[in-house]
Amino acid sequence: MSANPSSSGGSGGGGSSIGGGGGPCGACKFLRRKCVPGCIFAPYFDSEQGAAHFAAVHKVFGASNVSKLLLHIPVHKRLDAVVTICYEAQARLRDPVYGCVAHIFALQQQVVNLQAELSYLQAHLATLELPSPPPHQHPTMIAPPPLSIADLPSASSMPVTYDLSSLFDPVVQPSWVMQQRPMDPRQLGGSGSLSASGSTDQLQALMARELLHRHGSPPPGTVPCSTPSQSPPLSK
Amino acid sequence: MISGRCAACKYLRRRCPSHCIFSPYFPPNDPQRFACVHRIYGASNVGKMLLKLPPHLRAQTADTLYMEAKCRIQDPVYGCVGIISHLHQQIRIAESQLAKTQAEIAVFNSIAREAQVQEIEADSNFFKNLLPEEITAAGLRSYGYGSPSTQTFKFN
Repeated sequence: MSANPSSSGGSGGGGSSIGGGGGPCGACKFLRRKCVPGCIFAPYFDSEQGAAHFAAVHKVFGASNVSKLLLHIPVHKRLDAVVTICYEAQARLRDPVYGCVAHIFALQQQVVNLQAELSYLQAHLATLELPSPPPHQHPTMIAPPPLSIADLPSASSMPVTYDLSSLFDPVVQPSWVMQQRPMDPRQLGGSGSLSASGSTDQLQALMARELLHRHGSPPPGTVPCSTPSQSPPLSK
Repeated sequence: MISGRCAACKYLRRRCPSHCIFSPYFPPNDPQRFACVHRIYGASNVGKMLLKLPPHLRAQTADTLYMEAKCRIQDPVYGCVGIISHLHQQIRIAESQLAKTQAEIAVFNSIAREAQVQEIEADSNFFKNLLPEEITAAGLRSYGYGSPSTQTFKFN
């Protein structure tokens, strides 16, 4: 998916301004500066909701840092980058301590629980398949190991394709995870890059947009960053 | 003391004050940690975020900021969202396998129940066909039923 120019904007630069046309983009409006032609933020932050969305991004990352980040990303990937940056910024504002890491740990816990349940049932199935089953044994539910960044998926272990249709199903509330197991991000070490190619990129792009669509209806051609109140509860 | 500077103050080339907000969370032996965080968030934003929080929460905040920054550096487009996507994928796979395994167990249980029902019916038919005088303990044992006993059962 590529960035689409705002419906209220002109050519190329999109947004709602290209220097004196329809007014400044949301970012320049927030920064109270002149929106120049070719403004890097203009395609992604419209002058209406974009300003509020940019406020979150600026508060967490800073306009300068986001600008540098976007400059190093190909143009056709910048919309997805802005979407995910908005998501992380809003997650951090909702939960200043854990940000979107809370969501990651909740999902990891869910994966561990499902895998434990699967192991148990597979062991049970194995006993049913035996012609003369051994003395009845219940496979013990092994307590999941402490979560750490080492458990995070790496690029080599990533599947090639994603089914993103249920990506936004309700997940375990991070507060439950935090009650069950104290998070220790200090265990975090290296995490493999999840940069993928081909269909994975497209699916991730779709997922990224869906993430923010869930948070609020995006105006066409702009980042569908939502206000924190519209987001699903992720914080403790 | 210059040699006591935290990683942040070393990176920023400034004196490290005694109450430096960064020093507890960015030790000098791990310069990469602050470099990552500074590259994505900027020192000023990180300092503000830490100052807004009570001291007992700052360590985990610094850790999660480092994790997010590192993810963003490794994947500039998707950052942590890529990991979330992958975890959702793993959950779907696990749920699918779970459903499949549960179905297989249900099939086995169904087959076992049918076999039990058939065995009970076979036993019932067997008894129906016996003459009353044949229903003795010895007779039953010869067919493989019951425990040793001399008691005679009579059925009308």
